[in-house]
Amino acid sequence: MKQAQAVIQNFAAESRALLSAMEDALLLLEKTPDAPDALNAVFRAAHTIKGTAGIFGFDDMVAFTHVMENILDDIRAGEVSVDSTLIALFLSCGDHCWALLDRIQAGETETDAALRFAGQTLIEQLAAYSVPVLEMSPNTAVRAMEDQPALEPELENIGGDAVSSDTWHISLRFGKDVLRNGMEPLSFIRYLGTIGDIKAMVTLFDAMPGADEMDAESCYLGVEIDFSSSADKETIENVFEFVHDDCTICILPPHSKILDYVRLIDSLPEGKNRLGELLVSGGALTQRELEDGLRLQQSFDEQNNTPTTDEGHAHKLGEILVEQGVVQTELIHAALDKQRVIKEHRAQENSFIRVRADKLDELITLVGELVIAEAGTRLLAQRSGNGDLIESTLSAETLVEQIRDSALKLRMLPIGETFSRFNRVVRDLGQELGKQVELVLSGMETELDKSMIEKISDPLMHLVRNALDHGIESPQVRQQNGKAATGKIYLNAYHDSGNIVIEVDDDGAGLNRQKILNRAIERGFIKADQELSDQEIYKLIMEPGFSTADAVTNVSGRGMGMDVVKRNIEDLRGSVTIDSAEGAGTTVVIRMPLTLAIIDGFMVGVGHATYVVPLDTVVECMELSAEDRAAIRNRSYLNLRDQVLPLLRLRDVFDTSGEAGRRENIVVVQCAGQQAGLVVDSLLGEFQTVIKPLGILFEMLVGISGSTILGSGEVALILDVPSLVQQASTREMQQVTYKQANNPAAI
Amino acid sequence: MSISMSANKSRGKHKRRKVAIDGTMTIYEASAQKEDLLKAFNGVDELEIDLSGVTEMDSAGLQLLVLLKREALRESKQVRLVAHSAASLEVLDVYNLAAYFGDPLVIASRAKAERRRQP
Amino acid sequence: MAKNILVIDDSASLREVVAIALRGAGYAVIEAEDGADALSKLNGNKIHLAICDVNMPVMDGISFVKEAKKLPNYRFMPIIMLTTESRESRKQEGQMAGAKAWVVKPFRPEQILHAVAKLMPV
Repeated sequence: MKQAQAVIQNFAAESRALLSAMEDALLLLEKTPDAPDALNAVFRAAHTIKGTAGIFGFDDMVAFTHVMENILDDIRAGEVSVDSTLIALFLSCGDHCWALLDRIQAGETETDAALRFAGQTLIEQLAAYSVPVLEMSPNTAVRAMEDQPALEPELENIGGDAVSSDTWHISLRFGKDVLRNGMEPLSFIRYLGTIGDIKAMVTLFDAMPGADEMDAESCYLGVEIDFSSSADKETIENVFEFVHDDCTICILPPHSKILDYVRLIDSLPEGKNRLGELLVSGGALTQRELEDGLRLQQSFDEQNNTPTTDEGHAHKLGEILVEQGVVQTELIHAALDKQRVIKEHRAQENSFIRVRADKLDELITLVGELVIAEAGTRLLAQRSGNGDLIESTLSAETLVEQIRDSALKLRMLPIGETFSRFNRVVRDLGQELGKQVELVLSGMETELDKSMIEKISDPLMHLVRNALDHGIESPQVRQQNGKAATGKIYLNAYHDSGNIVIEVDDDGAGLNRQKILNRAIERGFIKADQELSDQEIYKLIMEPGFSTADAVTNVSGRGMGMDVVKRNIEDLRGSVTIDSAEGAGTTVVIRMPLTLAIIDGFMVGVGHATYVVPLDTVVECMELSAEDRAAIRNRSYLNLRDQVLPLLRLRDVFDTSGEAGRRENIVVVQCAGQQAGLVVDSLLGEFQTVIKPLGILFEMLVGISGSTILGSGEVALILDVPSLVQQASTREMQQVTYKQANNPAAI
Repeated sequence: MSISMSANKSRGKHKRRKVAIDGTMTIYEASAQKEDLLKAFNGVDELEIDLSGVTEMDSAGLQLLVLLKREALRESKQVRLVAHSAASLEVLDVYNLAAYFGDPLVIASRAKAERRRQP
Repeated sequence: MAKNILVIDDSASLREVVAIALRGAGYAVIEAEDGADALSKLNGNKIHLAICDVNMPVMDGISFVKEAKKLPNYRFMPIIMLTTESRESRKQEGQMAGAKAWVVKPFRPEQILHAVAKLMPV
């Protein structure tokens, strides 16, 4: 069952990838209607999903994609032309498939009524496009061919009716060297008997030459087997895996088409009549089915005055069909092309290994433990003072770092896929708002930890919507202002010293400084006479409860606000900065670490407890002078180089027992442009550390973002600097809030 | 492996020979056995092959029997397999060739059915 | 009479796992730790099938196959190659030498049993 689940999940993942590709292709088609491969990509998605869904028995999906495929066929045949309505319709169809996949993944076998209704509506809309077909026209046959929910674009359906037998038919001709290679046909047949029931078997030795030429060590045997089994084709094929290269093997599933049998007969050396008899006597075909099949072939042969040899090799099935006018040559080529495309696709897939995400996570966790263990060893080595030992731990450390880096890289994915999802958003939203927008993507190949990608996509989505809604002006306004009617939104990503930087840039109206100031004063965020830099003003729009849009539109008004965007990014230990020029556009820059799993930390001691401050937030450290200590006893700020530095005593924040040590230090931390000083007892130095998420119990703890285990085995809490800095600046409630957090070592 | 030949028995014009195969009939012996068996079949109208001593048979061994039977059919001669050992019978059974040889079998079809059920 | 299988691998633990699986299925197992050791064990035993690693010290699996194929009594012995090799060239070399059955490491014990079932002479 578990395995089946995994297969279904794989199916869903594959299908979603295809749907994404389809969406991209549709958007491309909208821009350039004659883009050559775009239509094929759309077709391929529908076709492949239908085929695979059919194997799983997801009938709703099969029925739906089937209709899509039909229309796509008409489009490819030039009978239906593509317009933006149709593209919109197909985009909706993609969404519907997506929803169906959700159901499938959730393990729901039945589509619920609402979804079914939605599907039905789409199917009716699609049907309005379809070309009416006359019964029995050549096109009917063509469509029938494509109707097969099979992955292989075979020409099956034209092969007459399915035969009545419900057994597999296996046709085997063993290669000459099979025996010499130590393979025993008897063993394969016996093994076959373990996965099903051999209903009938005929052994052939027509290939055996006369007594003189016959080589006693060569194999001349062949068998025709009717086989009843619930195993799938692959399992049956695998029975013969070791002789695959040496043998001619043909496996026909139950109820194959008569022409498949005819084709089988054609492909075998024994001659038509002999094999036909065999198949009938074995029960694979009824006499009538055989006659029908052969007549179909013969009538064609006579028609063309082609002498039929007894071997029946006269014509390949494909040729027969083409010349009969059943199928046009192009379609055969199309089918072959499709096969080729599928093959190429497979080849590409083969250069990747599909690994379960949780396996990777486990590896990363282990590497994390390794980093910790290694730190412990190093600590011991340093204590021992043994020079050789220290050196050897140092070289181990280098290796561990490399392992850590490569392990983390395994989870790195290019951000491009997330970016290209916005194509659709921008398109839909632009239409809704009556704006013309082009989304320009760059840095698609920039890699980022998978978990980060998942978490960043919502905030990014919001920023893009925002740019479109508030940034880009309507075409009229743009033209009045001497800009191109079509606005541009740029999404760019790049790596910068261990961080990823993502920029959302638009050439829209830009932020109105005065409007923001007015709103901020009105909301009481700032005082009317306060002097603020541009940066500080722009930052205000990310304050909770701030919104400058005159009318809250349907677009960015819903869901998260800019404050949530900021918060989300800070949760990823990232930062947001906004820059804008009125009339020229706005740039939002997000800067985040590449991974969440490991950070460089700065350790500080308070009493007996150890805390870790993420190193990238640390600005400087200093020892508190005696005067300063006296000075801050009754106030919570320090005059640092003529700047007011709000202070937070970690001892108070976490209610640590005991008196302060003889010395105290300040760690100046910075977050989103604001600084604060953390008062601690001792500075313990830089440490690389692995973040362990807090349990549910401690999730609500303010000021702590995670924990880590030190080389000594002790637990240290990782400080949530953004929230601490925020606390430092709005400190009224400080004394009350944090009593829950006791000695962190007890966690 | 050995093939032992009994003396030719001729009743009038019809010359008949009996051979018995002892031991294994596998690919290792196949080439030699082919020569021996063809030699034994040469110049007689009927060859009776006693399989009671066959301890092991594989597809190569089976092919030899098929070869002889086919030669017999071509030349309107006779090959008769008698006293099938379990090992030889099983191979004929898997290949479903008992009818082709048309020799009476000692073991009843019930045993065959059982073997099918439990391969 | 139980069929004898020669398991050739330089890893004792791998031999053990394979041997346990095979014995559980009613086969008799003889172990060898490289190709040369295996050749010596072919003498004096009646081996029905060999399971052979490719990369081994002293004598590798492909050399073993070539040598075994020269022995009159083992010319047609079925041999299952165990490999981590994905290199086609190496596999082809092995196939040329007569080893047609390949099982890729890591494998589950039942995979070996299936392979043996398909190849064990009657």
